[in-house]
Amino acid sequence: MAGSAGTQTITLAKGLNQGLRAAMEADPKVIVMGEDVGKLGGVFRITDGLQKDFGEQRVLDTPLGESGIIGTAVGLALRGYRPVCEIQFDGFVYPAFDQIVTQLARFHYRSQGKLRMPVVVRVPHGGGIGAVEHHSESPESYFAHTPGIKVVACANAVDAYWMIQQAIACDDPVIFFEPKRRYWEKASLDLAAAPPPLFSSRLVRSGTTATVVTYGPMVRTALDAATVAEQDGQRLEVIDLRTLSPLDLAPVFDSVRRTGRLICVSEAPGEASLIGELAARVSQECFYSLEAPVLRVTGFDTPYPPAKCEEDYLPDVDRILDAVDRALGY
Amino acid sequence: MPPRKRAPSRSSPGAKPVGSPIVGQPTVGPVVEPLAGPIVGTAMEIDGPHNPQQIIAGLRATSEGEDLVQLLTPEGQRVSHPRFDLEISAAGIQALYRDMVLVRRVDREANVLQRQGQLGLWAPLLGQEAAQVGAGRAMAPQDMAFPSYREHGVAWCRGVDPTELLGIFRGVDQGSWDPNSTGFQLYAVVVGTQCLHATGYAMGQRLDGKIGNAETGEATICFFGDGATSQGDVHEAFVWAAVYDAPVVFFCQNNQWAISASLDRQTRVPLYRRARGYGFPGIRVDGNDVLAVFAVTQWALRECRTGNGPVLIEACTYRMDAHTTSDDPTRYRLADELEEWKLKDPLERVRVHLVREGLAEPDFFAGVIDEADELARRLRDYCTSMPVPGPERIFSNIYAEASPSLDAARADFLAYHASFEDGH
Amino acid sequence: MTSVFALPDVGEGLTEAEVLRWLVAPGDTVTLNQIIVEIETAKAAVELPSPYAGVVTELLAEPGATVAVGSPLIAIDTGDARDATAQPTAEISQQIGAEGPDGRITTLVGYGPRTQAMARRSRKPAAAAPPAEDQGSVPLAKPPVRKLAKELGIDLSTVPGSGTDGVITRDDVRRAASRPGADPGQRREPVRGVRKATAAAVVSSAFTAPHVTMFLTVDVTAMMQLRARLAERPAFRGVKLTPLTFTARALCLAVRRTPEVNASWDEAADEIVYFDHVHLGIAVDTPRGLVVPKIRYADRMPLHELAVALEELATAARDGHTPPGDMLGGTITITNIGIFGIDTGTPILNPGESAILALGAIREQPWVVDGAVVPRQVCQLALSVDHRVVDGAQGSRFLSDIGALLTDPALALTF
Repeated sequence: MAGSAGTQTITLAKGLNQGLRAAMEADPKVIVMGEDVGKLGGVFRITDGLQKDFGEQRVLDTPLGESGIIGTAVGLALRGYRPVCEIQFDGFVYPAFDQIVTQLARFHYRSQGKLRMPVVVRVPHGGGIGAVEHHSESPESYFAHTPGIKVVACANAVDAYWMIQQAIACDDPVIFFEPKRRYWEKASLDLAAAPPPLFSSRLVRSGTTATVVTYGPMVRTALDAATVAEQDGQRLEVIDLRTLSPLDLAPVFDSVRRTGRLICVSEAPGEASLIGELAARVSQECFYSLEAPVLRVTGFDTPYPPAKCEEDYLPDVDRILDAVDRALGY
Repeated sequence: MPPRKRAPSRSSPGAKPVGSPIVGQPTVGPVVEPLAGPIVGTAMEIDGPHNPQQIIAGLRATSEGEDLVQLLTPEGQRVSHPRFDLEISAAGIQALYRDMVLVRRVDREANVLQRQGQLGLWAPLLGQEAAQVGAGRAMAPQDMAFPSYREHGVAWCRGVDPTELLGIFRGVDQGSWDPNSTGFQLYAVVVGTQCLHATGYAMGQRLDGKIGNAETGEATICFFGDGATSQGDVHEAFVWAAVYDAPVVFFCQNNQWAISASLDRQTRVPLYRRARGYGFPGIRVDGNDVLAVFAVTQWALRECRTGNGPVLIEACTYRMDAHTTSDDPTRYRLADELEEWKLKDPLERVRVHLVREGLAEPDFFAGVIDEADELARRLRDYCTSMPVPGPERIFSNIYAEASPSLDAARADFLAYHASFEDGH
Repeated sequence: MTSVFALPDVGEGLTEAEVLRWLVAPGDTVTLNQIIVEIETAKAAVELPSPYAGVVTELLAEPGATVAVGSPLIAIDTGDARDATAQPTAEISQQIGAEGPDGRITTLVGYGPRTQAMARRSRKPAAAAPPAEDQGSVPLAKPPVRKLAKELGIDLSTVPGSGTDGVITRDDVRRAASRPGADPGQRREPVRGVRKATAAAVVSSAFTAPHVTMFLTVDVTAMMQLRARLAERPAFRGVKLTPLTFTARALCLAVRRTPEVNASWDEAADEIVYFDHVHLGIAVDTPRGLVVPKIRYADRMPLHELAVALEELATAARDGHTPPGDMLGGTITITNIGIFGIDTGTPILNPGESAILALGAIREQPWVVDGAVVPRQVCQLALSVDHRVVDGAQGSRFLSDIGALLTDPALALTF
């Protein structure tokens, strides 16, 4: 394992891979299961080499059935295992939706705390890779809307490495979103550095002009927007939510109270979304600090379009900065 | 468990073949699957072997075993089958061969176009030409097909121009052909989901009174793979189809691999045998034998049109290429296996048969190759010159009825788009 | 012509690949779709087929090198001949590897990744759409301004908004808070525009020029009779003759005998400026407040011309169309308070002028004529003068002259 202290440059995909490896080494009850996660190492190679090193008993190439994957993970958890399930693409999580929201999310409550569901459901999400239909969805709001499960989204290799381990260690079910268009982006991982808690948001760039809050694949885009805005003398503050349920909004409130302006960014359709919840909470908690209404930059309220249209669909630097301009116009 | 009552089949042995523009009719009798007897004995006796190695060996063996319907051997030998046979002219065989060559050429050119950056993805059908052409040509114009995402050969048979397949993989649309006029529904990317849709459609055919005549009745055929059989949707489709006597042929192309998962990840018994548990017949056919696939599928569709549906067909074939262009099969399967299946190539056996039996002249083969070259050129030209949809496409055709909020969103975005100096 | 083949994304979102092995070398002839190179991505080892037929001119990446998606891999001379096969590839060659005007590498997989353009796309010069106007009855203010108002005890419904579309600003709230006794029974309006200018003018005048005001009540019955007679004359048809017209004319005549009233105190030069012309200011009440446009060279106008000028001046002022030049350079002013039904007042000088005449309302009142009380048309005149320039005697004579001319217009013959 990459357990030796030191700094290494790794991709986000590799960060997850090493994080999974560390978790499996730390706890023999951790098992990885999903379609093509074994010999192939997953279609994105996130589980590469794990079956070879941990065996077919701990890395399960499952039959092709998402409901089956999650449903059996529930059973395995009841038996004391800590399953880490891979859903191959965001658009294929829906066949498992019933097991997640009606079963996985409720065992602890139903049993009055006697049963625990330490299950992680890994879901690559978001667009931007030129894929065919059902491979570019952003379904996180469905899950954030569901009580009983926790939802997190990692945005970079370092968080990927730590967050997957923290999610596996969590005694509650965690839906773990991975930004598939950022799988191959690299970052410097310092194994000696202590990670922040799993369910915490983080300020990733300080600024004064306005606050941009986002998560997952859009964090990179927001940071790019902040870099560009600086050329115009605007200093954007960027916050990576990291945890989508429960929300950790204290850093957001603190930021908005300083900047007075908030732009929320997400690839998902904006209507009835997680981002809408964020806007509501900030309006409630930071009302007197708001120099402008909370603005949303999101995917449209449409199905994810054919790949050739996705650059128009996905929020980009220009759309974020357009929102910043509008916020400053009040 | 008593056998389910079945309507008398109208395609009895010796029935006069009905003309088809391409090929003749199978001369087959009704198939009555032996149903399970009383449950006694060990699990081994009922279900077969339990040891994983034995299971795998069993699954492989039955792709060549006695219960496999085959009319043309890999060596190009015409063989007979006690229940299914086919009277087919040389022209009929030539036509099927031509279909397969053209379909393969489309597949290979599209694969190359992906490697050259012209397509985002391609799902190759290499090796499955016979299964798809045989099934596609068995369909009558009034029948409806529900494909998964690899049925380029069935699309060809339904008159969908291969250029129409490119939009999905280039990312300019999600299926451009008209499902109603072609009798070929849009591709289904979520695995197994189309089996329920096909069942519902077939229920509608029955509700509309379109069954009862093997020639003029209607039937539905649903294409899916071995991996899909693990999905709950497919199980539910089997249940519904059985309960409602839906005129649907479940056509499973068992290409042995669900991405990296070999068949033993999905089943312990040969897939065709699952039908028995749901109460309808299941037939295993050599999916690389276009004649056998044609014969069996035509029989199955006639059964459905008559009112004897549903039927499950397991066409044993092999995915010669990757799952998609994003896949790397060398990571999970051995080259030996590929070499073994190359010997069972669906095109080569027909070519050998035509040559050996003197059913086609060299001119014919040269003509088909020329035609394939021309088709490939046309495909490439079309692909590289496909217009990119404008941003308005994002907001189009989401609802059948007007949506003022969506209209407003579209207007806003187009205005935003136009606000750039390089905008329109 | 040389075409360059750039590394495509062969596997849904990949960003780079390693070149494993070249299967062609410079000088080799390649056919369309011939396998030319093996690469390895994060997902798979992949063979790439040539999109061109031609002769390899250059390999642009070494074996073992990691190449970013979109980077050029190989250059192929496709020759000049363009047969049917070459046609589409020729088109590709214009795009591959090249960044389009929109910053996209257009021929990569599906759509191709956008280059990391770290600059904004230029917008057309269009005015940014203003925030949508809120049409409700709730006072318009941002939350932080509401908070400020709350802290300062200000009812926002009493605060006029000076921002765009009447939005209440922080300054509006602070201003409201700085006023003593602010309570809901009051209405407050920001001082601006004409009101602000008027205030500045009168304050400046009142605190720099020592004012003396004198009053005179006159019988203007004769003037009113003259007005009636003239109104019937064809020459005055369509002309609006008012008491102000006669007063203005009388003032211009009277100035001749007392030029001190048509002068200006120049503090800086320590001089008094006497004017040889009358630029007559007329105070006009308009929807925007008090304005004082001038009739230039009023002293050179006969009665008819003066009447026309007065009417035009009043109309222009009320419509807000007074030319800016007509607002400046006055030498003496009349304010017609009579039109409000007011008898008299103490007018404040226009800054820089030395006299201002207030014309009161004309009323029928008991008047003693030849020892008998009879009803007559009577009005009051009030004259304020800058005592630095005008002595009491001069002012009295000036006012007396005007009164005499209005009482007996025939005296004009003597001026």
